[in-house]
Amino acid sequence: MSQTDSNYFVGAATIAAKLDYATKVAHQLSLTASNARALTLRAGQSAAGFRPLTDAIHRLSDITVSSSKKINAIAAQLSRMSVEKYRADSAIRYFDAVYEKSKDCRNISSLDTVYKRTQEQQKLLMIDYQQRIQQLSQELEAVEGELRSAVVLKTLCHVEASQAGEQYKDALDNVAENVERISGTIKEQIVFSRQQVATLQ
Amino acid sequence: MKTETLYENGDHKWMVFGRDNDKPDLIIDTNQYMVVSENNALLMDPGGIELFSAMLSAVIKEVPAQKITHLFASHQDPDIISSLGLWDLALTNATLHSPWLWEGFLRHFGMQNIEFDGIPDTGARLQLDGVTLEFIPAHYLHSSGNFNVYDPKAKILMSGDIGAALEPDNSPMFVDDFEEHVQKMKMFHQRWMPSNKAKNDWVRRVRRLDIDMMCPQHGRIFKGDDVGKFLDWFESIEVGLTNK
Repeated sequence: MSQTDSNYFVGAATIAAKLDYATKVAHQLSLTASNARALTLRAGQSAAGFRPLTDAIHRLSDITVSSSKKINAIAAQLSRMSVEKYRADSAIRYFDAVYEKSKDCRNISSLDTVYKRTQEQQKLLMIDYQQRIQQLSQELEAVEGELRSAVVLKTLCHVEASQAGEQYKDALDNVAENVERISGTIKEQIVFSRQQVATLQ
Repeated sequence: MKTETLYENGDHKWMVFGRDNDKPDLIIDTNQYMVVSENNALLMDPGGIELFSAMLSAVIKEVPAQKITHLFASHQDPDIISSLGLWDLALTNATLHSPWLWEGFLRHFGMQNIEFDGIPDTGARLQLDGVTLEFIPAHYLHSSGNFNVYDPKAKILMSGDIGAALEPDNSPMFVDDFEEHVQKMKMFHQRWMPSNKAKNDWVRRVRRLDIDMMCPQHGRIFKGDDVGKFLDWFESIEVGLTNK
């Protein structure tokens, strides 16, 4: 993040917004998992092979919801921090202009304390900001890894759906499609966010 | 940014800052005021973000930054106080005096270090070493929470938007022809001031004060007889919503 680049806080806010959306979508996955469980209970023996898969969908949904919440919180902090840093950066620019304009002013040194204080604040914010970026990258990478299992899960769901009775086949296929669609939407937000995070570093 | 001393008596001083040549076009020209006492200084209506560097440069030519221990915002407008977030980083030990009504709004400009002292509707006093300043209620002129600052010793009234005029940026600092000046004030007062009742009540109260100089936030300063002429003129006009 360059000290003069004022777009970083917009980037951080965009990531926060994308991940907020991802969190909301992750809740749909949780709903899909519950529906799948109810469906397999109704289907009984004819969908016996599907039951362990509902546990996997639940696990994926829990991980995605909790990770999305965590990531979203980091992104929101990052966004707030970026604005704070932007304010400190602006103040430094204004102070620099004052130093330039008032070189010969007898009281110019009276600004030294606040200049130093703002610089230190800027430095601390920068360190904290970089740490958050790193944390965000790691979390995004982890959840993206988890979402890879959605493709396998979808295939297995289709296989089990084909073996279930005709009455439940379409509904179980629908669960498989939902798992893929929702995971795909979350993944899109994650991939976009990872790309954005790279530009903030 | 031009600086003029309006009053000086020992450690007690009034200054005006304004007519900034480097001010970006299309933002309204503003007057900023400062009262200096032995160990403290009060900056009144310190202005918008765009003026911050010019203002800080002008102010520290007069006093060290640490001496500015008090800020005053007559009301919440951006040309009055949108620089607050920057003063918040520039000052080490300062209190902002402003109508209590606006605290939650003013904090949107950023205020983590500066303390807030809400002025009650009925007004208050501020002691700056040996200088006593009075916050005079001027509600609905134009803001619904609004104060002037009166210094009985210097006989100066900082009147905020009351007495403001819209004219070119490089205009003189003092009114030299009152009749001509009226034309530059008329629209400002009739459009921005909402209440005849509030206006007439203010005129009645301010007539009781001993004033040598009336200092608005825009336009020119009134001196001597022009202060009384302004009060007569202001009392005579209709402002805001009328029955007409």
